[in-house]
Amino acid sequence: MKALSSRHQSNPIWRFLSSIRLAVFLLITLAITSIIGTVIPQGESLQFYLEHYGPDFFLVLKALHLNDTYHSWWYITLLGLFSVNLIVCTLRRLPFTLKLYKRDSLSITPERLLRMPFKRTWKIRGDLDNISIQTIISSFKEAAGKSREAPDVDGGRLFLAEKGKWSYWGIYALHSSILVIFIGALVGLFLGFKGSVMLAEGKTIDHIVDRDTGGYIPLGFSVHCNRFYISFYDNGEPKEYRSDLTISDGKEILRKSIVVNSPLKYKGITFYQASYRAIPEASLRIVSPDGRQTLLDIPAFQSVLWPEARLTFGLMRYEPENVHGRPAVQIWVQNQAGRVKAFWLLKGNEREFNQGKNSYRISLANINERYLTGLQVKKDPGVWIVWLGFAILIFGFAVVFWVPHQRMWLWVGRQNDKTLVILSGQTNKNRLQFEKNIKKAEEALDSSIGAQK
Amino acid sequence: MTFSSSYFLSLTTFIYLGAAILYLTYWIFRVEKVGLLATLVTTAGFIIQTLGIALRWIESYKLGYGHAPLSNLYESLVFFSWITILVYLIVEWRVKRRVIGAFVTPFASFAMAYASFSPQVEDSIEPLIPALKSNWLIVHVVTCFLGYGSFAVACGLGVMFLFKDKAKGESKGILGALPSCKVLDELIHQTIVFGFLWLSLGIITGAVWANNAWGTYWSWDPKETWSLITWFIYATALHARFIRGWTGRRIAYLSILGFASVLFTYFGVNFLLSGLHSYGSP
Ligand code: HEM
Repeated sequence: MKALSSRHQSNPIWRFLSSIRLAVFLLITLAITSIIGTVIPQGESLQFYLEHYGPDFFLVLKALHLNDTYHSWWYITLLGLFSVNLIVCTLRRLPFTLKLYKRDSLSITPERLLRMPFKRTWKIRGDLDNISIQTIISSFKEAAGKSREAPDVDGGRLFLAEKGKWSYWGIYALHSSILVIFIGALVGLFLGFKGSVMLAEGKTIDHIVDRDTGGYIPLGFSVHCNRFYISFYDNGEPKEYRSDLTISDGKEILRKSIVVNSPLKYKGITFYQASYRAIPEASLRIVSPDGRQTLLDIPAFQSVLWPEARLTFGLMRYEPENVHGRPAVQIWVQNQAGRVKAFWLLKGNEREFNQGKNSYRISLANINERYLTGLQVKKDPGVWIVWLGFAILIFGFAVVFWVPHQRMWLWVGRQNDKTLVILSGQTNKNRLQFEKNIKKAEEALDSSIGAQK
Repeated sequence: MTFSSSYFLSLTTFIYLGAAILYLTYWIFRVEKVGLLATLVTTAGFIIQTLGIALRWIESYKLGYGHAPLSNLYESLVFFSWITILVYLIVEWRVKRRVIGAFVTPFASFAMAYASFSPQVEDSIEPLIPALKSNWLIVHVVTCFLGYGSFAVACGLGVMFLFKDKAKGESKGILGALPSCKVLDELIHQTIVFGFLWLSLGIITGAVWANNAWGTYWSWDPKETWSLITWFIYATALHARFIRGWTGRRIAYLSILGFASVLFTYFGVNFLLSGLHSYGSP
């Protein structure tokens, strides 16, 4: 880390921002402060916090946004500082790594070779002829792999077999992946949305409700729920929620059943099965004065017009079991003049309803449960950037962890009246594997040099 | 039902307890044969446990549920102990130091004993709730637990380091039998890097799965956040080495603190906090 340009080295702010000390400080601070949001429930109403924590702590909570810790100004600041730290540190180390990367391992002296962690020398009396030298060299090349040569180093020939030099960049990949993930998250935050919708069977929507603002978001197409199914295990636990959805823009475009782990995707917008609700649908039997019977289905939250008498019906309340132990519904009825009446209908009972001079008899024929499916709707154009960041992180990690920079040298030259052969090597990780490799080279040289003696 | 999965798994509990005692005996009395026996017993336990897990998987198909045995607290404890032993056996094979076993096998036996004997832990095979029905479940749990297992080993090494560090270079007695501080420091670092890689993969696979299942790759639910806290702690340990004055001692402390955070991510969140991952609760 000494290869800094002097301009930067003298700047204390630059040095502080690039220090690992700051990185460790930030990591510890992030670890500690992240605990807060797991202990204090997040995203509740302000009322909730006031009731649970009292007025004093409430003020602290509000000032520090502890109801939404991970999006608070100070948490975002910490993450921002962390990113700056990472960028400045990377920039500061870049020239150093570049120099290391460009350094030619062939510019080395035999003396330095003898100070390497792995070394072995052979001394052979007298001069060796070219063929013998060639044998030694080729047995090195065979054992050590692809190599380069510097023809004249201190009067001898130097060979270098080098692998994995590019692995210096692994740590850069790893560190920059963190930034890529941050960028992806920001893109999603600013260009995407998260919303939800409760959609009844048989209904269609072309907009959803934003989860954060509560505003409407138009989809640009429509979604129709054909059916919702729910199934249970024998022990009563839910087994599967399934919504059968159709996407259309005037005409049908696609139809798909979605379950919890298998969403539907269209035009960058994804629909996830999130929840469901069962709502009642009252089925009324109406007997007209002339004795004719009509069955009228009234779903919750909807009004239904009965054309024959020009009456509009709606469901106000539903009790699966009322005081008499029977299902009951409260119905409202509006006539043509706009007058509204409400009454209870108990399963098994009948009541009269007078409209002008006609009298109708109304009873509760049945109650069906209809389902609303709860869909989570999301658009996140940043998700691919996040995935890219993940991929780079894994790649960077694999390089940092598994790809060693290995060098093996062979020097063959004269020393006094002897021929000297030096084999040496160095690795920055995975010593065991490297020792095996260099042993192989050593044995190959042993046998080819043994033949010369 | 002699050869049911629960038979094999309760057998494993006793084998690992035996192995832990053997490793401790080996450490204190330094009889090579006891050490070899400890390794053999641990390996046998590992094979029996593997059979037990495989059988449990098959049994869940016979019951008509058909899912990997990674779905509740019991199964995850069994898997945690399995993977800790796996990582340990790899370390022992590579480093050839059996003493480490005295500090690691207890974790695996505690986990098995807790799974088998605690009334809080239900060991019946149950169907999967809809949110867990995904192939990502296996990938996510296996990657996370490889991380957890490595961190258990690193924690054991950290405790060894602190013992050894106290001894101040003493070469006799039971502390003399421990590897040197330099070796331990290097081992702690390597195990943490290895665990950190898997924890990162665990967080990533969790994020991809969450995005598939409910549309957000990160929702700051307590379990997610705690895994991130754990990740920050180990990132600290990796970088602290580059600060002058941060000797092996502090990194040993961090390896213990980090594992405490793992345990909290794993149990504390289920028992004390609430969130999406509550399936792990008893
Ligand atoms: C959470 C984000 C980060 C992750 C996941 C991460 C990961 C890593 C890993 C795995 C190593 C290799 C450790 C080893 O081989 O011993 C490393 C080294 C390093 N990190 Fe980070 N790091 C992060 C943040 C930072 C930050 C903010 C800085 C800013 C100063 C930084 C500076 C360094 C340096 C200087 C090294 C040494 C590189 C080398 O050995 O050549 N890291 N980091």
